[in-house]
Parts: sequence; structure tokens; C-alpha cells
Amino acid sequence: MVETAISGASPVIRRNNVTVTGQANGPVMMFAHGFGCDQDMWRRLLPYFAEDYRLVLFDHVGAGHSDMSAYDRQKYGSLDGYAADLLEVCECLELEDVILVAHSVSAMIAVIASNQAPGRFSHMVLVAPSPRYTDDPTDGYVGGFSREDIEGLLASLDSNYFAWAAALAPMVMGNPDEPELADDLRSSFCRTDPAIAKHFAGVTFLSDARPELPKVRTRTLILQCSDDRLAPLEVGIYLHKNLERSTLMHLQATGHCPHVSSPKETAEAIGQYLSYFA
Amino acid sequence: MTGTTDPSLPDFEAWFHQAPSGYLITDDIGRITAVNDTFLHWTGHSRPNLLGSKLQDLMPVGDQILYSTHCIPQLGITGAVSEIVIEIIGADNERRAALLSASRSPASGQDHGNVRVIIFSAHERRMYERELVTALRVAEESEARRARAEKELHHLALHDALTGLLNRAGLEATLEQFLTPPPGDTNAIAALFIDLDHFKAVNDSLGHAAGDELLVSVARRLLPTTRRNSTVARLSGDEFIVLETVAGPQEATALAARLLAILKAPMLIQGLEIVTSASIGVAIAEKDGESIEELIRRADIAMYRAKALGRSRWELHIPAESDPSVDRLRALGELRHGINDGALRVHYQPRIDLHTGHTVGVEALVRWQHPTRGLLPPSEFIGMAEESGLIRSLGAWVLQETLKQAERWYQEDSNSAKLEYAVNLSARQLNDPGLVHMVEDALRRRKVDPSRLLLEITETALMSDPEAALESLTRLKDVGVSLAVDDFGTGYSSLTYLKKFPVDELKIDRSFITGLNSNTGDTAIVGSCIDLAHAVGIRAVAEGVETSEQAQTLTSMGCDLAQGFHFARPLPAPLLAAWLHASTQQRQDTHKPGP
Repeated sequence: MVETAISGASPVIRRNNVTVTGQANGPVMMFAHGFGCDQDMWRRLLPYFAEDYRLVLFDHVGAGHSDMSAYDRQKYGSLDGYAADLLEVCECLELEDVILVAHSVSAMIAVIASNQAPGRFSHMVLVAPSPRYTDDPTDGYVGGFSREDIEGLLASLDSNYFAWAAALAPMVMGNPDEPELADDLRSSFCRTDPAIAKHFAGVTFLSDARPELPKVRTRTLILQCSDDRLAPLEVGIYLHKNLERSTLMHLQATGHCPHVSSPKETAEAIGQYLSYFA
Repeated sequence: MTGTTDPSLPDFEAWFHQAPSGYLITDDIGRITAVNDTFLHWTGHSRPNLLGSKLQDLMPVGDQILYSTHCIPQLGITGAVSEIVIEIIGADNERRAALLSASRSPASGQDHGNVRVIIFSAHERRMYERELVTALRVAEESEARRARAEKELHHLALHDALTGLLNRAGLEATLEQFLTPPPGDTNAIAALFIDLDHFKAVNDSLGHAAGDELLVSVARRLLPTTRRNSTVARLSGDEFIVLETVAGPQEATALAARLLAILKAPMLIQGLEIVTSASIGVAIAEKDGESIEELIRRADIAMYRAKALGRSRWELHIPAESDPSVDRLRALGELRHGINDGALRVHYQPRIDLHTGHTVGVEALVRWQHPTRGLLPPSEFIGMAEESGLIRSLGAWVLQETLKQAERWYQEDSNSAKLEYAVNLSARQLNDPGLVHMVEDALRRRKVDPSRLLLEITETALMSDPEAALESLTRLKDVGVSLAVDDFGTGYSSLTYLKKFPVDELKIDRSFITGLNSNTGDTAIVGSCIDLAHAVGIRAVAEGVETSEQAQTLTSMGCDLAQGFHFARPLPAPLLAAWLHASTQQRQDTHKPGP
């Protein structure tokens, strides 16, 4: 796969480490990674779309190779800050009719962005989404976690503080089964500033984007995995009910990252949806 | 895991089970397909329980989320993770700190992908890292505290510490947005300038703590009566501003009337029921974008008119109206210029020793040569200067000018060489930390003997902050200047403080002197003031002496010094020199033996 470095990159492009690949003249498919990862997590899925689509990838500020110095705790103290960045990337590259593929916590960032600039996106594909991770006892909403669980996550992040801090990162031993992977990817993948990761986790896992759902006018595909600890079946159903023009598809793929564990099935589901609606 | 039949190779199955770390094999989503004895022993779990269950399920929820969002994709993309810090929950429900490393074999042909996991116990390392992270958090917290303190400081800069309302700076900062209504909005901004009536009396009679309490009560009353998006500020002293969006003047004056009513209700201050009232000036912002200063200035003018028309009422400022006599702010600007441009004059009133009839000193009295209103006496502008703080520069100027004159006379004229110069100090000057230095500096520069300078401080100024006053007076005394209590009898008239403050002279207020001989009460007061002064060993001075009868009575009562029109009006320096010369001549003539 050829990654095109964007020449004369604007501050936005550098800030979010935007890369563009695929079919230069094709319709735009934009990928937003979730918590704990960066744009490299889409690597297994991309080949299925590279021939027909112009693929736009980026890192959220604080993740991957984004500009860590742009991290502002106030701006990124809510999902709005991330949504604003996403829209700035679209604006900067003059992207139109974008098919926005968003994973995990980024799904709600996508929802906010599409509410702010509905004309920008033709479709959203939400992979393993959840509008709220914690249960809400006031209305019986099931998110799958308690507040204490999320605090446990923050504690886990603290525990991995030194493992995540790039300077002290342990060298990953090679895997003889996958010799084709470049060493730099091995050592850089999902690296993040541990303090930022913790803030990001607090912001995303304690946010409640449910009020945004009824405002969405963009056609949306919800990809629901089997046995996903982060997005239980109820959450998928809740989203489907509250997103007016949505389609809910259940994947055989288990876990939280079907585009990593079952890229073929994930790509086929997206392709099937797009061939029907687009 | 299958054993090997090759006898040249070691027994891998035994090696697997007895390895020094926990070894597991899982599928791509973490389901355990094999686990070694070391792991079972370490966790207390049984093999049948673990096979088929997910490795993540042995972790606390936080680790599960991290494993799902970070480790599994990393394994999927890069094929390996290394030394992830996790906890494993044992059969005893205890958490065990561990490091997890894993590598993944992708599916090929019939074989599904599998993940080989090694788990090390990492108790010590975990403890050590936890300490480091805790230290880091403490450092971050202190940084956050610094940021908070900075924010509080910013808040303080924009708010009045006493009432919590915005101060002038805060008002200006807030109003940037307020004054420009969105286009098409027919509403206007109204400013209500509120000044409490007779606030000074409360301060003077009950003390500053009571005055402060009153201001806080007023602030509390003002806040709830205004709308959420309106602004309430305290400009200074007893001056408050309310800014509100109104449909027109009627709504603004209705609000003023409401505020007047609310402020009139009795307040309990230090156990005393106090009824206060206010005067309110109302101004409506001009449509063409008026500045906030201008709007407040107009409301201030209207407020002054409300005061002049009898207080406890509101007045609306009509933009066309202009009344220079109530335009206090304009007058202040003129006064400021006057100080800088040399429009102030010092006149000198002789002080006569009643025992000898000699002129022993002069009191320096300031005049303002106003460009349009002529020569103004202090009563026309000192109050304004005092309220605005201009009094500091004004007072300093008067002192310097007087000492300059003293130096000149000392060099030129033997008649005035021994004169004592009395100069007034205001309350604000008394509380100014730079006062003593200013006085010393002025004396040194003019080479005037400090004992020839007498500083007069009013009774009320002394009592506004007695402790600070005592400190300032003591330091002035150390410099060598003499001190007088001015306007004695109008305030506290307390023997206690007369003894406490290091004063040399007591000046009986002119109002009692006026009643001398005609009002028995006043005569008695003057008599006891003189006795009081003598009782504590200081001079008694009468001011405002206008008739020879008054002078004679004072002499008979034992009063030490006197000044007033009976002897001489305050005179410009050249005229004073002439007067001194004439009176010396006259005395010499009188005492000359007859031909």
C-alpha cells in the first residue's frame, strides 16, 4: 500500500498526522480510530477499499504520531474537541460526501461531527459503537460498566504508565510468524503519552453522547460484534432505535475490534451496506 | 501442545508445564486453549475451569477494557505485545500483579490463529512503579494547584473582596460583550448608579467593620433583584452599579424604584437596626454604541442630581442635559489638571499666641484657581479629592509648596524666620505608607527644621483606623514634626485617644467658637476643651475667631493660640509678608515709650 505524504502540509494535517492512500479520484472513506490505538489499527481493513476509495486516515491528538504539543486538556476535555479536529481535517482537504468509518469511542465523535456539519458526510459506519459506557440508573440504560469500572481502567492506565511512556518502552520481540511487519510499526503501534491516554480514557468512557443521537440526519451503519465487552448487544439495539436512518448489522466477529480480528467479514459488511445505500 | 517422539529433543510438554512463568495459549479473542501448571499453581485456578474461558475474564474490569482496546488490536496488527502490566484475579479472589507478553500466529490453512501468552509475577516491580506514578501525580497536582491559584488571583483582580461583586476592572472586562446588542435588538442597556445616603455617618459612628457589614448587606439585597444576565458591581466605597437590559427608560426607572424600596428596609448591623437609603442615577445607553465609561459617567451625574434633590430617590439622565456643577467626574479631571498645571495656590493664615499677641505661625490653606469659577476654597474640592484619592498628590503638593515658602522666608525675612507652619493631612494621606518618607524628604529638601512643621489631622481621620493612625503619628513624631488634632469636638472628643496619640495641639472646631458668648453650651464646651488639652499637657488652639469678644473670652479661658478673620484672613505669600511686617511694626509702635 502506498501512503501519500501530503505535501506542503497545513498545521491541521501535521497536528492529526493525516495520511491519504487508495484511489485518488475515488469517493472519500475516512477512518477514525478509537481509544488505545492509532490509525495503524485500520491496516488490515484498508486493502478491501484501496482500489475504489480515496482513504483518509488520521491520529487523534495525543495518539500515534499526532502533535502531542497540540494537546490541550480543556479542548479535549470533551468529545467536541475531537469532533472539531475531524471537521477541520475534512475542511482542510476539502472532503465532500465522506463515508466516515469510526471505531469505538470515535463513533460518538463522528456523530457529533455529523451533527455539526451534516452536509459533509454521506454515510457513517460505526464499528462497535456505544453512546455511553456506564449504566444509567435513572433511566435503566445499560452501557455495560459502572463508574467504578471506568475508574479501574484509569488505574490500569496508571499501572502501564511506564510501559506506555515511549522512552521506557520495552522492545517488542519479533514474531517469527509475521516477519513482514516493519520493526518501527512494532515499536510504535499504539504508543501514546500515558498522561494523555488517561485523560482521553476519562473523557471518552465517562461521556454521554445519547442526546446527540436524535439529531443525526446522516445514514448510519452500526456494526455490532458478538461478545464485545465494551459494546453489549443492548447498546447496539439502543443506537439503532435512536438513530433515525440507521442499519444494524451483527457480525460473527467476536471482541471489540472486528476490523483487526476479522477484516474480511467487516469489509464485506460495509461493502454490502454501501452497495445497497450508496 | 503435543509431545515429541524425537529422543534427541527435550520433553517440551514438561518444559511447558514447569516453566518459571505462567504460559497460556489462547485463540484470537482470548479464549484459553492451554495453560501450564505454573499458572494454575500461581492463581489457584483449576485447568477445567480455565479452558474455554477468556483470559481477560481473569482480569479486573479496567484491565479488561485496556486488553480489548489496546492489546488485542496490537496483537492483531503487530503480532506481539510486551510487558503489559495487568492484574490476574486468583481463585482466592486476590489480585496478583503481573506482566503479560504475548505473540500471535495468524490463521493458516486449517489452523486457527493462536496467541502464546507468558505471564510473569511482577509484585515488586509493580510496587516500585506505583510509587513513581504516585510521585508523578503529586507533582501534577501541585502544578494544578498553581494553576488554580492563578485563576483565583485573576478572579480576585476582577472582584471586590468585600462583597464578591465585580469591581471596576471586572465590570469593564465583563462589559465588552454586554454593550453591543445583536443587530435588530431593540433593547438597551441601562446603568443604575447607586450611592448610599449618609454612608459616611455609619462608618464614622459605628466604625469600619459596621460599614463593611452594611456594604455586604446591600450587595446581598441588590443581587436577587436583578436578572440573571444583568451585572452588579461595586465601584468604590458605597457606590454600586447595576447594569440591566431594558426595553426602555420606564423599565429602568421602575427597577430603580424597586431597588430604592429594597434598600430602605431596615438592616441589622452589629445588633443595631439601621435604616439606610440610597440615591440612584439612571442612564440608558445611546444606540450608537456608547462606551461604558460614558454611560456610567452619565448615571453618576444623575445620581448627584438625586442627592442634590434631597436623596433617597432616583433621577434619569437625559443625554442632552449637561450641568457642570454636578459633573463631578469632569471636575475631577479639571482638578487633576489643576494640580499638574499649577492652578493650586497656598494661602497662609496667621496663628496668634493669645498670651503674647505675637504671630507664632501660619496655617497653610489650599485654594484652587479654577479656570471658569474663580478662586475656590477647599470646601469646594477637598471632599472630591478625598473621595477620588487625588488628595494624596494634592496634599503632597501643599506640603512641598509650604516648605518651599518657609525656606524662602527663612532666607529673606527675619520676621517670619521663626514661624511654625501648620499643614493639613487627610485621612487617606495618613494611611498612605509613603507619607512619612514624603514628609522627611520635603523637609530635607527645603532644609526646614522639622520642629517648625505642624501637621493637622482631623478627629475623624484619626478614628477611621486608630491603629494605623497611631503608627503613622508615632513615626512622624520620630521625624520631629509636631502634630495637631483638627476640628476637635465634632467627633469622638475622647480623652483616651488624646492621651494615646502623640499630639502637641488640640484645635477646637470653629462651630463652637462661633457660639462663644452667645451660646452657653458652646462656651462650656470650649472651656472644657481647653481644660482637657491642658490636662494632658498640650496646647489649645481656637480657629474661626471672628470678633474681639471671642478673642478676649478665649484669652480669659487660658486658650493658647487663635486664628480667624478677627486677626487676619488667609493671605497669599506676598500679602502675608506685608501683614507680618505691618503687625510687627504696629506692636513695636505700641510698645514704644511715649515722646
